[in-house]
Amino acid sequence: MLRRPLKLMGLFLKVSVLNVAAYRFDMLVRVFVSLMHLVADLGSVWIIFHNTKSVAGWTAAHMMVLVGVFRIVAGGIRILIVPNMRRVLEDIMEGTLDFVLLRPVNAQFLVSIREVVVWRIVDIVLGAAVSAYGCYQLNGHVPIQSVFLFVLMLSAGFTIVYCFWLMLATLCFWFVRIQNIEMVFWNVFEAGRFPIQVYPNWLQWTLTYLIPLAFITTFPAMAGSGDPTKISPQIVLTAIFMAVLMFVLSSWFWRIGLKRYSGASA
Amino acid sequence: MRRLARAVSALLRVEIATMLQYRGEIVLWSTWGLVNPLVLYAIFKAGAMSNDNHQMAGLTVPQIAAYYFTMMIVGHVTAAWDTHEMSWYIRTGRMSAMLLRPILPMWKSMAGNLAYKICTLAFVGPMWILVAFLIRPEFNATPKQFMLGLLAVVLAGLMNYFLTYVVALVAFWTTKLDAVGEIYFGLAMFVGGRLAPLDALPGPIRVVADVLPFKYMAAFPVEMLMGRITVEAEAFRGLMVQAAWLVASLILFRCLWAVALKRYTAVSG
Repeated sequence: MLRRPLKLMGLFLKVSVLNVAAYRFDMLVRVFVSLMHLVADLGSVWIIFHNTKSVAGWTAAHMMVLVGVFRIVAGGIRILIVPNMRRVLEDIMEGTLDFVLLRPVNAQFLVSIREVVVWRIVDIVLGAAVSAYGCYQLNGHVPIQSVFLFVLMLSAGFTIVYCFWLMLATLCFWFVRIQNIEMVFWNVFEAGRFPIQVYPNWLQWTLTYLIPLAFITTFPAMAGSGDPTKISPQIVLTAIFMAVLMFVLSSWFWRIGLKRYSGASA
Repeated sequence: MRRLARAVSALLRVEIATMLQYRGEIVLWSTWGLVNPLVLYAIFKAGAMSNDNHQMAGLTVPQIAAYYFTMMIVGHVTAAWDTHEMSWYIRTGRMSAMLLRPILPMWKSMAGNLAYKICTLAFVGPMWILVAFLIRPEFNATPKQFMLGLLAVVLAGLMNYFLTYVVALVAFWTTKLDAVGEIYFGLAMFVGGRLAPLDALPGPIRVVADVLPFKYMAAFPVEMLMGRITVEAEAFRGLMVQAAWLVASLILFRCLWAVALKRYTAVSG
């Protein structure tokens, strides 16, 4: 049952690799820019901790884990989510979503895997390295159970991000011209660069429950710190619950939106 | 001169009309300019709170608030983004049409820049007031310091505009301008003082910051407006340096523009 979706994903991946191979210099420039972003992130941590020992309970090494998480999530978003959602918006606007709906595959699945920006994997590798280094500095080694917890929390976070984007894209069925809605996301995401504990209480609450940003960067970073007291089982369970809830909600919303779609000739 | 003024005011009207078409878009763009300083304020405040003297690089929490609040406004007023647009104009061949006009393409971009700031004011203005109520910045500038600070902001805006434009001209040689633009913005963040007050920078970065022009486009006008530059001679020296960089960038633009035009071959022409 899983064979066909996997085969499809493999096909799209192959096409993307071929595309990248055609513009090698372009890719090199982009990898360079991506490296610079990481250097900038690390530089800001350096500047902050040059002036203080801890920020809302977070030390420099701890913050490194968060820098890594931020890179990994930002990278993941740019590998799969951004390119696919941009294409959905375009398809809905132009009416070419017809070609997706006609295929004998789940439409939501298909629109979510059509584009893969392969070279962005660099971000994930670099981010993981930085996180691992931060964890190593904290504990002297990288404990296996925190790697497991880290991956689990990241997956939950990534699912939440995906659902958030799917809902933003679904809005396009009602408001056709919303190409720039992704700026909304990046503006909110910017706040996840630093631990949510630095914000006032009302904002922390908002960023945890109303806009679950905390589950995307702060909590995975807490899980990856290797300190089991930093992350309670309650947070882990809430994260999983949140991911499932968001997934169900966004799929439902997508299906409602789809009913409004009137096609190319309308 | 009168013809130029008429042309520019016509361009400005066109650009404002265009901007108003994309109201939602420009609101979203300008939101980033609000979010980024606020996030940095939050982290610096948290850093200060965990220091024994409740300060960060010699700034108390209300002063940190004033720094990032002023940076928010100065950053918006002095914004320039030609490094992001130029290569697109050249790649798509739109530059050709602009070159056919009997007026430098720069005037159009300048009109666009002004139009953006005029149109967004209706949104960012109230937001600034709201932010001021939320974070309670503390100012201690005298009226004279404040007036000189305003002059510094104007100079900073012009400087940033022309320097950005000069950097954008690199697009005539390579249509891949992204990396160059990113480096410019990165430097403005780190050694310009947008990320952190210059006093907070570690030694080596501080040395670089003092040599490069970036601090005169952000940190310097902000500190002037805050009343942090109390020695008058220092204030005037800073204004002179700004003026010097402005003249230098104008000359650089003139020279580079002439060479760039000779290089230009319309991509899709």
